[in-house]
Amino acid sequence: MIRLIINGLLRRRWQSLAATIGVAIGAGLLFAVFLLYEGLDKGLERGRQRLGADLLVVPSNATVDPDKALFAGSPLSVYMDKKYSALAAKVPGVKRVDGQFFTQSLRLDCCSVGSETRLIGIEKAVIGRLAGMSPNGRDHLDADEVIIGSEIMGGISRPGSLIELLGSIFRLAYRLEPTGTSLDHSILMPIDSAQALAADSEALKPVWQEAGDPRGLISALLIEVDDPRQVREIAQALEDMGPVKVIRAADTFQRLKRLMDSFVLILASAGIFTALGGIAYLLGHFSSAAWDRKGEWALYRALGATKLGLAELIIGEAVTLALAGAAVGLPLGCGLYRLAQAHLTAQNALPFVPPGLALLVAAAVAILGIYSSIGFLSAAAPALRVSQLEPALTMAQGDID
Amino acid sequence: MKTESSIVLEAENVSRSFGAETILANVSLQIRSGEVTTVVGPSGSGKTTLLTLLALLLQPSSGRVLVGGRDAAKLSDTERSRLRNTFYGFVFQTAQLVGSLSVLDNVLLPALLAGKAREKRPAARELLDRLGLGERAGFLPHQLSVGQKRRAALARALLLRPAVILADEPTNDLDVHRAEQVADFLLALPDEGYALVLVTHDFHLAKRAGNRWNLHEGKLTPPAQLPSPVLVER
Repeated sequence: MIRLIINGLLRRRWQSLAATIGVAIGAGLLFAVFLLYEGLDKGLERGRQRLGADLLVVPSNATVDPDKALFAGSPLSVYMDKKYSALAAKVPGVKRVDGQFFTQSLRLDCCSVGSETRLIGIEKAVIGRLAGMSPNGRDHLDADEVIIGSEIMGGISRPGSLIELLGSIFRLAYRLEPTGTSLDHSILMPIDSAQALAADSEALKPVWQEAGDPRGLISALLIEVDDPRQVREIAQALEDMGPVKVIRAADTFQRLKRLMDSFVLILASAGIFTALGGIAYLLGHFSSAAWDRKGEWALYRALGATKLGLAELIIGEAVTLALAGAAVGLPLGCGLYRLAQAHLTAQNALPFVPPGLALLVAAAVAILGIYSSIGFLSAAAPALRVSQLEPALTMAQGDID
Repeated sequence: MKTESSIVLEAENVSRSFGAETILANVSLQIRSGEVTTVVGPSGSGKTTLLTLLALLLQPSSGRVLVGGRDAAKLSDTERSRLRNTFYGFVFQTAQLVGSLSVLDNVLLPALLAGKAREKRPAARELLDRLGLGERAGFLPHQLSVGQKRRAALARALLLRPAVILADEPTNDLDVHRAEQVADFLLALPDEGYALVLVTHDFHLAKRAGNRWNLHEGKLTPPAQLPSPVLVER
């Protein structure tokens, strides 16, 4: 039976090739769109979870893209007096204030890290919330401990490993799970340690001569409010504290979500229309192919094929072709996905968390399942029609070779 | 080696119509193992229809076809298909070879459908050798002459050692020499125990085969009542 199926496909090799390419394009697009959607969706969700903030307060002179600051974890190399942390905590309706301190990028010429890497000081409460992204559940950091992003210092992953930063030795607490943001390329440490490290760094001295002692500075404040309905009034009160600007997470989140939804809608539409085109093509292909070959099917019936066996043969050809197309499409889709992912990561425009291997395999299996079902459905009706033919009458219409 | 003769296939008052046109009317015929049954008649007399009814490729409008004593109408599609696969060997009027399969695979087709291709491969090769096509086993049908195609179809009909061989105009389109070769091969089959049903308008073949039944305008006349065969001179 398998030999007859393969033979049937090879006999019409150009038609089979065209159908395979059609299916491959549809399956590849569907696969890529699905993975991109998952990565973006998870990235956005993780960005929101990571911050857990309703408002972001930054110095008024900060040139900041709110999307990147809130959800892509893009650090700001700007500073304000840390008194704003205490002032913000006193604003009615503010539930929690977390300060963050960023240094400028670290480079090879000033530290042991081999590429541009950001150093972020975070408060204890933030460390506690990051525990959800920690493989070992750590919810605190000692003064000489750091967390490293998923994309840096690939050779270091064992907790307790020693890392030299700006001339000081730190211990690794854990490596963060991927976030798809600039956090993946950052080093996080307790805010006091970051400030002290920055203050002691000869390379950074010119910065502090202008900005002041880093131990009295912060880069951003993450604010959580008691009642999200009052966020507008609270934001206004925070802006009244002094030369700061306030970014509302809800607005930014919604805008980003809409942007993402549009992006995904365009991709999904392309994927779905291609898949539908593939289905229509397969339906036409198998319907006409089955009918064109009715003399051959009649011969098989005459030689002993049952109706079911004949249907298996016709459907088997369709499913084999659809599966082959989908199997070719999966690596193509994977390539497309990698390209898009690399572009998104390079632009740091949207938070993106690459789907894990398990999801990748599940998606691949699902695509194969979907396309084998499409193959089955597109051949089922012609198979049923052909199996009802009277072999003698069909064969009387002419020779088949 | 001649085996004991017994009825393996029987048509009992079989009629078949297509629309208002009656092709066969109340035809009764018994086919015995180890014997040849020849049906002669002009084109359009219903010979092929009779053969396809006997082969369970068509349903009679009335009457019964009994296979080994069982009414074929009462068999399921699976049972009928199995009979077509193993009980019958059919040599069609045209060779009916699958163009994309090699000659060997065409011969193996009934076995491929039965899932016995590997097991039957030596038998297929042996049959091709017997029919002088051993050298052509790997050829495609379009590389064969008409006579070679006919012999390949004959090998396919014999592959699963069926009880009944139904041959529809087996010498049609063959030159005298090739027609004689095919006739020799076919007419030796009853000696091996096969029941052979020949449908032909080939005078020489019909004369050699004997046991001639005449089919004219859908009516079958037994050999004893045959006045003069409606045959064509080759």
